[in-house]
Amino acid sequence: MAGSSNVQFTPPPSPPSPTASFFDVSDEEEDEYNTIAHAAAKRGVRLLFSKSKVYVHPTPSAKDNIPGFIALVQQKPLPSSRNNTPSISPKNADLSSYLLAWVPESALGDAYSTYVKVDLADDDSPPRQKYLVPPLPETTTYRDPIGLYAFAVPLSQIYSLLVRPPSLGWWFGSLVINTRAGDSFPALFFHDSECESTILQKKKRARETFDPFGEDGNVFWGGDEVLRWLRRYAEVQRSNVDSTVYLINPSEEDQLSFGKAHITDTSAAKSKEPSGPSAQKSGPAPHDAGMDPFMKAIKETRWKVLEQLSKITTFTRRTANEIADNPRVPPQVRRLLKTPEIQTLQEEFDSARIYLARWAMSISEQSERERNQRIWTAKDVLEMENSSVGDFEILDLETGKISIHERRKPVTRKEWEGFFDPHTGRLQVTVEEVKERIFHGGLDPNDGVRKEAWLYLLEVYPWDSNQDERQALMNSRRDEYIRLKGAWWERMVEGDSTAEQQEWWKEQRNRIEKDVHRTDRMIPLFAGEDIPHPDPDSPFADTGTNVHLEQMKDMLLTYNEYNPDLGYVQGMSDLLAPTYAVMQDDAVAFWAFVGFMKRMERNFLRDQSGMRQQLLTLDHLVQLMDPKLYLHLQSADSTNFFFFFRMLLVWYKREFEWVDVLRLWEALWSDYLTSNFHLFIALAILEKHRDVIMDHLKQFDEVLKYINELSNTMDLIPILARAESLFHRFERSVQAIDKKNNFPAPPLSAQQRKPTTRSQTQPSSSHPNSTSNISTNSNAKSPDRSSGPSPSRGISTALPSTPGDNQPDPKVISPELRALLRKDDFWNQNSDGPST
Amino acid sequence: MSSRKKVLLKVIILGDSGVGKTSLMNQYVNKKFSASYKATIGADFLNKEVLVDDRLVTMQIWDTAGQERFQSLGVAFYRGADCCVLVYDVNNSKSFEALDSWRDEFLIQASPRDPESFPFVVIGNKIDVEESKRMISSKRAMTFCQSKGNIPYFETSAKEAVNVEQAFEVIARSALAQEETEEFSGEYNPINIHDNAERDGCAC
Repeated sequence: MAGSSNVQFTPPPSPPSPTASFFDVSDEEEDEYNTIAHAAAKRGVRLLFSKSKVYVHPTPSAKDNIPGFIALVQQKPLPSSRNNTPSISPKNADLSSYLLAWVPESALGDAYSTYVKVDLADDDSPPRQKYLVPPLPETTTYRDPIGLYAFAVPLSQIYSLLVRPPSLGWWFGSLVINTRAGDSFPALFFHDSECESTILQKKKRARETFDPFGEDGNVFWGGDEVLRWLRRYAEVQRSNVDSTVYLINPSEEDQLSFGKAHITDTSAAKSKEPSGPSAQKSGPAPHDAGMDPFMKAIKETRWKVLEQLSKITTFTRRTANEIADNPRVPPQVRRLLKTPEIQTLQEEFDSARIYLARWAMSISEQSERERNQRIWTAKDVLEMENSSVGDFEILDLETGKISIHERRKPVTRKEWEGFFDPHTGRLQVTVEEVKERIFHGGLDPNDGVRKEAWLYLLEVYPWDSNQDERQALMNSRRDEYIRLKGAWWERMVEGDSTAEQQEWWKEQRNRIEKDVHRTDRMIPLFAGEDIPHPDPDSPFADTGTNVHLEQMKDMLLTYNEYNPDLGYVQGMSDLLAPTYAVMQDDAVAFWAFVGFMKRMERNFLRDQSGMRQQLLTLDHLVQLMDPKLYLHLQSADSTNFFFFFRMLLVWYKREFEWVDVLRLWEALWSDYLTSNFHLFIALAILEKHRDVIMDHLKQFDEVLKYINELSNTMDLIPILARAESLFHRFERSVQAIDKKNNFPAPPLSAQQRKPTTRSQTQPSSSHPNSTSNISTNSNAKSPDRSSGPSPSRGISTALPSTPGDNQPDPKVISPELRALLRKDDFWNQNSDGPST
Repeated sequence: MSSRKKVLLKVIILGDSGVGKTSLMNQYVNKKFSASYKATIGADFLNKEVLVDDRLVTMQIWDTAGQERFQSLGVAFYRGADCCVLVYDVNNSKSFEALDSWRDEFLIQASPRDPESFPFVVIGNKIDVEESKRMISSKRAMTFCQSKGNIPYFETSAKEAVNVEQAFEVIARSALAQEETEEFSGEYNPINIHDNAERDGCAC
């Protein structure tokens, strides 16, 4: 053939640095095999397949990660490699001309563009054009410092591949080459989210087949492509013994012991791999080669983390085995925990467990972030719809909705203005539409639309008002604020009240001042002190103050005057600060705050009945939605749900960043799904951390600490999405249970929209009886609220495992739970003054 | 390994809002002071390991919200307490006058087996503030403490780290003594057996 004269078998003295243009593309229509030559012929080798962003992680630090390409190249085998490998079969002889390679990006030079081209070639078969690249150092043993140099291993020399798809806990899929000589190459980590070709391939799959999954039903990842390409040239057989092992051209013997054999003791098999099989071939492998490079990496990281963290705090002891045997912990970690060094460490530092818990969570958060980039398909949605009640695993799927929400744009001022008739200023779309937009998209934080929209959400303006009415309303509100403010001011100056009143008022003023001076001082508006304090007797007289702090103080004192039965209670300053920061007008902010407080008043009642009520509802909700978790919390003495106290009291103000709080609150104010959506936020947070809680947290103090420390670590948007899907699941559960219990299925949607009369809603002090009449006629036990949150009152689950409840009562929806379907819990009260 | 003999001592800090409970806890555990601690909502705790007469103990120090109405939920974490710290602000007589009711409230909610002997420690905080602002004299505070069964009394500045270490040393001792009495008197601990068993890991 024409090109045969080009073939040369002399190995290159050293890899030359060829110019890319030379190697880039060969247009010759030749027999492909014969056009491929070694570097000495200055022709390069043929690049069949490549994938970018495949990293070597030489150290535990992400900074040291080395990006590169995994590639499949074709070249004439070196004569020596043929001669020195006696047991090579004819099949393997062919295989030796194909090499599986890894090349660091930095080593590619001008060939980089060729690698990229091949990576992005959207073809199932080798590119018709021949892409030639400089040859790679062929090797079967790995000795170089990790990651510094490229390597290329002939397929004939590969014994097995250790393949780990990305999974919960391991957000980078990885691949390790084990050679017949018994060496393991460094693990190659597929950073799929950075790899353009993998992203495109995922999208394509989703588009064409509605199947985001790769082989074996897992999420498609870069490693799938590698295996697919290898299969074109070699026999790739997945081990029955250990599903992470793929044998390359296995011998019959190998097949017997690894592939088709029915070995059930997987742990024994695991310990054999990867050193086991190679040891048989080439004598005992060095100890280190047997160690999974994965393990090496984790071991180092983990050790440092544990050591540092365990110095900080101490928790009560748990045995290492408890975690080590837990099936939810990734196997690598489990194995790690069984190593003697770690066990010693755990014994020395009791706190290791809680930090493991946190660490485990951060890993799964990472992986969730990765998964969120997945393409959501019709199939998934369908699955979601068909999901059975009470099975929580589905949640992982449902979080995929997040990406939809992320794409939802916030409502801008322009869009907002478009909701209203330009002449009358009357709303010209339905309230429901507006609320849906705000619930899902939020309001633009920068263009001032909040200033306007919040007044509707907080019912300062009626939704059906026109421009003139609103103007008039605001004018009278301003007057009213001045009057209220004047009232306490006058009293302060003239002191015309009883000594007792005077005392109470002074106390309240001190409390307010103290709290205002420690509320959101990191926000520029409230930072610093630039004016002298007006009152020389104040504890802050020396510190000074600023005008916004003084405004805050006045508004809270005015509220104290406006709603004297409740008065100022700690936590209110947290609720006022964002309202004021958005409005920056004390009278307007005051009335917005009054609107907010109508919802929140129940949180601050003297007898704490409103907080108890909500904690009890949360108790019922967890019982219904996640009975297993509930049992665990029971065993941990934690069903008082006290660890949600702070979150519920000030609506997650202390848990999220300022900007997220504003976003969250407007979603909650919209009452779009329920007027108690904040409880679904709590449930979403709990669910997100459920595995960690169940695996690691055994006592009330541990649960409380863990939940408290979530503060400022949570991403709001995924939690909102999770809470929304939980609400829908809840709704479906209620409907399913109602059906099952032969209730005349209550038309829930109609129920919600039916205007209720004023007397029906007293959210804090009495039950929303308007809905409870549906449920209380059956087995619903009326919860004994005087005893505070108590388990197993509202719902009796039919779970066999419910302790002390052997009578399998049918599931019944408690009045507390049924109230969660309402959207009008707060706005039917007299809006002209405080409820007394 | 000496760490096997660990004892967990639960300490509850109570007192009016703004007297410096959070600051005292953080000064003791983290050696830090910040003027901008937010008002505590709910409850939180920090752990600190200390040596008391060659015994390694872990103090679990609970910080609480100061407004009275939030105390009714305290049951959740008062139980199993080994010592209760009552804090007031020496520049605020109201906070001093409230000490008695804080003490009563604690005894009701925690219901220790022997309320008479349950260890309290009183701390008068914010002594760094100029003398002219001071409302409660040392003498008055000490008289009060004596009348309540010789409660140990300390005057501290969480801001300037004055006397904080000393106060907590006594708190640790009192708590350890309390824990040992309970262990000694052969145990009934209302928390839960699990919890108790853990602590007994050290009861050699």
